[in-house]
Amino acid sequence: MGTPADSVAFLRNMRLFRNVDDADLATFAGSLREQPLRRGQILFREGDHGDEMFLVRAGSIVVSKAVTGRIEQVLARMGPGDFFGEMALFDRSARSATIQADTEVTLLVLDRDALARLTTDSPRAAAAFFQSLVHVFIERLRASGELVAEVTRWGLEATGLDVESR
Amino acid sequence: MADTPQAPRRARLELLVRHEGETEGFEVREIGSAVAFIRSRPQRVPDGSYELAEVASRVDGHRRFILKNSATDRFLLISEPERFLWEQMDGSRSLQEIATAYVLKYGEFDFDVIPQLIRKLQRAQLLTQTPTSRLRKALARHGGQRMAQMAESALTVLERINISSRNVQDVFRRAYRFGGFCLFTPAAAVLCVALAAFGLLAAIRLWPDAERVVSGFGKSPLMAVLSVKALFLVTVAAHQIVHGLALVHYGRRVREFGFTFLHGFVPTFYVDVTDIFMGTRRARVVTAVSGALVHLVLGSVWLLLALRATPGSFFQAFAAASGIIQWQAFVVALYPFCFIEMDGYHVLVDVLGIPTLKQDAIQYVGALLRGAGIRRFTRQEALYVGYVAVSAVSVAAFIAFNVWMIAHAS
Repeated sequence: MGTPADSVAFLRNMRLFRNVDDADLATFAGSLREQPLRRGQILFREGDHGDEMFLVRAGSIVVSKAVTGRIEQVLARMGPGDFFGEMALFDRSARSATIQADTEVTLLVLDRDALARLTTDSPRAAAAFFQSLVHVFIERLRASGELVAEVTRWGLEATGLDVESR
Repeated sequence: MADTPQAPRRARLELLVRHEGETEGFEVREIGSAVAFIRSRPQRVPDGSYELAEVASRVDGHRRFILKNSATDRFLLISEPERFLWEQMDGSRSLQEIATAYVLKYGEFDFDVIPQLIRKLQRAQLLTQTPTSRLRKALARHGGQRMAQMAESALTVLERINISSRNVQDVFRRAYRFGGFCLFTPAAAVLCVALAAFGLLAAIRLWPDAERVVSGFGKSPLMAVLSVKALFLVTVAAHQIVHGLALVHYGRRVREFGFTFLHGFVPTFYVDVTDIFMGTRRARVVTAVSGALVHLVLGSVWLLLALRATPGSFFQAFAAASGIIQWQAFVVALYPFCFIEMDGYHVLVDVLGIPTLKQDAIQYVGALLRGAGIRRFTRQEALYVGYVAVSAVSVAAFIAFNVWMIAHAS
């Protein structure tokens, strides 16, 4: 287990908390709990319910989405400093992808109550946090569009389908 | 100076494949679109859904064909080579295999003709997607049954097992340089013939004591025979390695070497020797025959060891059985009439110049048996009938021999 000081130092390097001051960050770090995952362990599956987001402190995880049978498409791999699960935190919807540990992993868990406390106790820190979050969302949206284009291109190339002259 | 335009990067998919029956086990496979394309097995629409008619040109004398989709009334004008490719697209052959057949038939490497034809056929809705193998078709028909589902799952798992490498040329080149070249010398040929002769003599001397030799297996002869078969699998790797060395000997490239389950359930090693099509016929024949000779040599060595072993011992029985199985493999590999496209078959079709002999022969005899109106009976049709008849008798004899051998051992 890392000390609170370690957690603050780790959060300080994350893009999400770049504009949050030290005092707020220390309070925020105190509301996070650590969760280890062994290699191969599934944190949650697509369709599960949840209300927590996760920060990857150490190790690597695979984000995948079911395609058919035992086949899933790898959407992303995440390492230290990355985060996931925030969609369920905000809209209470089912998990949109499966998360599985690729190595031994340590996560920091942020639940809805902790986020609410941050918003109430430190609105300025919360605003900085949400602004960074929006920037990451935009990047992910772009990456998602790129992935759709790549998958479409793969399908056309793999089948030899001639769309131009149809 | 203007920049040279670069070809666009081929798309790749990263897929996570969960292990059968495990909750957490998985592997991530990266699959390029190019690999998916050459491994795809195009399948034309079922017979009766299309019509094919020949139109002879009076100008250039070339044969052309009109292909009509009966359902959509769409027509395609295709050339003779395209008609050949169309006939190959029965869902059982991959594009890689179709390209190989095309080279053997026409001696051309203009592979663009294949994707161009596929695009034309797709536009005319003349290609379809259905299960390819007969076994898979049968399983698909009984998809609701638990046993069929289990068999389908098992087949899928086995088919996915493919351990291979495409970067093997350097390994084969080094193996050739550090001794492999000896296999392609006159001395090796003489040694091979001498070993075969001594092996035959050993077999003749062992034969009168066959019952005592087999008795060495003791109380579990069936298990012993199965272990002999397992050891034999290892020698299949040697067979394939010698094919690869032959390629290097003729200055060609070994594209791939690996292990897989043929048709989903036959464990085997394989080597991609398609580059030998660029070589001479002699090179093709030597490449095909050299792999099989591994079994002749090993069989002879085993039989010589059996002759020297303590009479009635387990080792003698094991060596004798291994020798027989190796020789059997030698015969099967070189014997072209067994419905299996092995080394001897490839030599035969090369010599005859009929790359699709098996498929054409089966199709012709099938039509003959169904009573379809066969108007001509030329030399080629006689060849088809002869191939099917001799192959059927040979397969029956092979099965009978093995049943006899196991029964005798028991």
